[in-house]
Amino acid sequence: MFIGRDLDRVDALAKVLGTAGFAHDLRMEGMLFACVVRSTKPHALLRDVDVSGAYAVPGVLRVVSHKDIPGQNTFGALRKDQPFLAESRVRYVGEPILVVIGENEAVAREGAARVRIDYGEIDAVLEPDATGKGRQIYDTGSLMAYKKVRKGDVEKGSAASDVVVAHTFRTTWIDHAFLETEAGIGYVDEGGRIVIKSSTQNIHYKRVEISRLLAIPEERIRVVQATTGGGFGGKLDVTCEGFLALAVHLLKRPVFMRYTREESFLSNTKRHPLSIDYKTGARKDGTLTAVKVDITGDTGPYASYGDAVCLRVAVHATGPYEVPNVWADCKLLYTNNPVSGAMRGFGVPQLAFAHESQLDEVAEALGMDPIDIRIRNGLKRGSVTATGQVLSASAGFVETLKKIEPFWRARQKTKKGSGFGLGCMYYGIGNTGVANPANALVELGEEGRVILHTGACEIGQGSDTALLQIALETLGVARSDVLLDRGDTDTSKDAGSSSASRQTYISGKAVQEAALGLRAFLDEAGYYHRGRALGDIYRATKDKGRLLFEGFFNPPASGLDEATGQGIPYATYAFASHMTEVEVEEATGACRVKQVHAAHDVGKSINPKAIRGQICGGVAMGVGLALMEEFIPGKTASFDAYYIPTSLDMPRVEVFLVEDEEPTGPFGAKGVGEPALIPQAASVVNAVTDAVGVHVYELPCHVERLKGLIESKKTTK
Amino acid sequence: MKRVGFTLNGKTTTCDVEENELLLHTLRERLSIASVKEGCSIGECGTCTVLIDNEPCYACLTLTAKVEGRDVLTVEYLAHADLLHPLQESFISHGAVQCGFCTPAMLLVGYSLLLKHRQPTDEQIREAMSGNLCRCTGYVQIIEAIKDAAPVFIHSGS
Repeated sequence: MFIGRDLDRVDALAKVLGTAGFAHDLRMEGMLFACVVRSTKPHALLRDVDVSGAYAVPGVLRVVSHKDIPGQNTFGALRKDQPFLAESRVRYVGEPILVVIGENEAVAREGAARVRIDYGEIDAVLEPDATGKGRQIYDTGSLMAYKKVRKGDVEKGSAASDVVVAHTFRTTWIDHAFLETEAGIGYVDEGGRIVIKSSTQNIHYKRVEISRLLAIPEERIRVVQATTGGGFGGKLDVTCEGFLALAVHLLKRPVFMRYTREESFLSNTKRHPLSIDYKTGARKDGTLTAVKVDITGDTGPYASYGDAVCLRVAVHATGPYEVPNVWADCKLLYTNNPVSGAMRGFGVPQLAFAHESQLDEVAEALGMDPIDIRIRNGLKRGSVTATGQVLSASAGFVETLKKIEPFWRARQKTKKGSGFGLGCMYYGIGNTGVANPANALVELGEEGRVILHTGACEIGQGSDTALLQIALETLGVARSDVLLDRGDTDTSKDAGSSSASRQTYISGKAVQEAALGLRAFLDEAGYYHRGRALGDIYRATKDKGRLLFEGFFNPPASGLDEATGQGIPYATYAFASHMTEVEVEEATGACRVKQVHAAHDVGKSINPKAIRGQICGGVAMGVGLALMEEFIPGKTASFDAYYIPTSLDMPRVEVFLVEDEEPTGPFGAKGVGEPALIPQAASVVNAVTDAVGVHVYELPCHVERLKGLIESKKTTK
Repeated sequence: MKRVGFTLNGKTTTCDVEENELLLHTLRERLSIASVKEGCSIGECGTCTVLIDNEPCYACLTLTAKVEGRDVLTVEYLAHADLLHPLQESFISHGAVQCGFCTPAMLLVGYSLLLKHRQPTDEQIREAMSGNLCRCTGYVQIIEAIKDAAPVFIHSGS
């Protein structure tokens, strides 16, 4: 009844009316404004910090430094290594040093501008150094994380190959560029508790960090998700929440913060720039024999989500193909560049660029059609992945290729410069090889209204609506019978973060479990068979206490062997194939993306319209990754220098869904948020090669770079 | 300070503003029109778009003093009482809304376009929206929503 239906988004009405309360829009009587003073140097000692200029600005109330922090001055999702406020040393441009609190925004920003900092500059490490012999930021060395995957014998596999292709691929920093910059409000409530409402992807995690920062128990803190204007991984780390909590704790007045776009570019974590040495071997018939991948990445000075990216790219290095011999290494290295962390796909879009280019070159060398080599090697039920996991169910990769195959076979170049490319991916749903559970609560509330309590953060991806659909379907009640109560640590249990394409699958299953609890209760009370109304059932039982049903789901996965990377990193995988048509103007190097056919195995489609929205958005972000997006440290400060696709850059998009149901997922569902993006840049690059015969080994393939490639091809002829 | 009089969503409005005050600030901070967003502050993202005499303008680049005597529309103008504007209904039914931060501006751009072109082509819609960034949707469902609202728009007498 509710699964597979294009239910309208639950938050769409407020958003079209303009009444949705984004973090940017939060206001309170008597609120102050806080503004961060950030490092202008990539690496320096703080010799002297003079705040007298700030205090001289009328309306500046307080300048907060690390000395004002009552608890721990460190945070981090995976390692507590990043200071909220720098103590004696700064390690990247944009690192927070002070927080200036003023009566209003203008005053606070003026105050921040008048702080004088005497930097003792230290030579910055701006290139990742895998040798360990160069300059280091830390005494412990430059290596932040090192993960490997070993399967079979890659040297033997290579030796048995008829063709071997090897190239190095490079990518750069990418900004999330969500349209709502980091923002939030904090205040002390009637009970003396600290309340933070912010633009965020995870409320329970932020509460933990605030608790450590202020050295007060978690129950004295409430974190609420405001309507959030995009996340894409950039609102997973603590952004303004820590500063707000500190300001509120010190001044006991409401405090608001909002980053400027420049601040957001400066401070936000980035997609990791990776250098990928990739070697692929295959036999004459196209069967892959060996893949050897050596990856080095620039992680900036702090860990953020680097560990997650490192492991995920090693695990996904082969792409969605069965390869008997695999050797994959990923090393992330500390530098004084921006902190790189989580961004839609956790490194896998960069790897897809590499493995899909490689596969096309192998096919070319063997005289095979690119789709045939993919079908031949594609993972399917019974396949063994690079980590030795046997795919026992929900592995519809080849079916996604079959969906676009008719269009691929029928493709025709209409003019000079037109070309077609394929891009494929697989992606493990949820965090890699670690527990990542979600909780959910379903309640029979006042007058028989069903209330779904979830801590999952709606960041635009549509989790609120998907979770509601799962509850409605499980309970078999009417839409109007259910209220959604979401994004508040006071009323929900931890659902984990909205990342890793995990909420539909994991929170969805937890919601289903909770709803099944209520369903059994309602069944016994006569709702389904005797027609007893929900209100009557509520009134008859309410004196026995709250009718609250809990749901919990932790996907069945296991840790990976440290030395070999072997194990079961994820309970389930999404699969996708994109086919992209481009037109390249040879004289200028301008590439237009004309059309994309995108096929995704989502397990079970909860809301096809929302899935199509995710895929179209992923295509846009992939076009940006392929052709235009490039954050340049020290330069990029606005959309004037950081191009994201506009309506004129968008191709037509045809979406095809494969539903190879996942037995552990809610109604068979998996996830699609990141898969939507992952294969897109790869398919654009392959289409460019098809169009003009040049190989692209570095992203973005912007106008100048492509023009240069075309020209150097002409001169070498 | 300077007194500025203009029509805001059909109502005569007067407001005392700073000489160099931007319309974005006046609308958000003085008149509590929170639907006008601030995504970049320098005329690059389009989330602050309002209509001035039915033409899309970036409120972050417009001095409030310059709207003296003019007709300013924000998304609050579109819905009346409990009735959504057909364009708003179309945005909902087409899935044209994700995070929603660009949505009010996109609606206004669509409204302005439909006033000029009763049956716009895809290209006209793309062109009209090209000054407004969206990071979530890839624009596809927004374009479809605007296009599909066109026939209803004519009949609604907007």
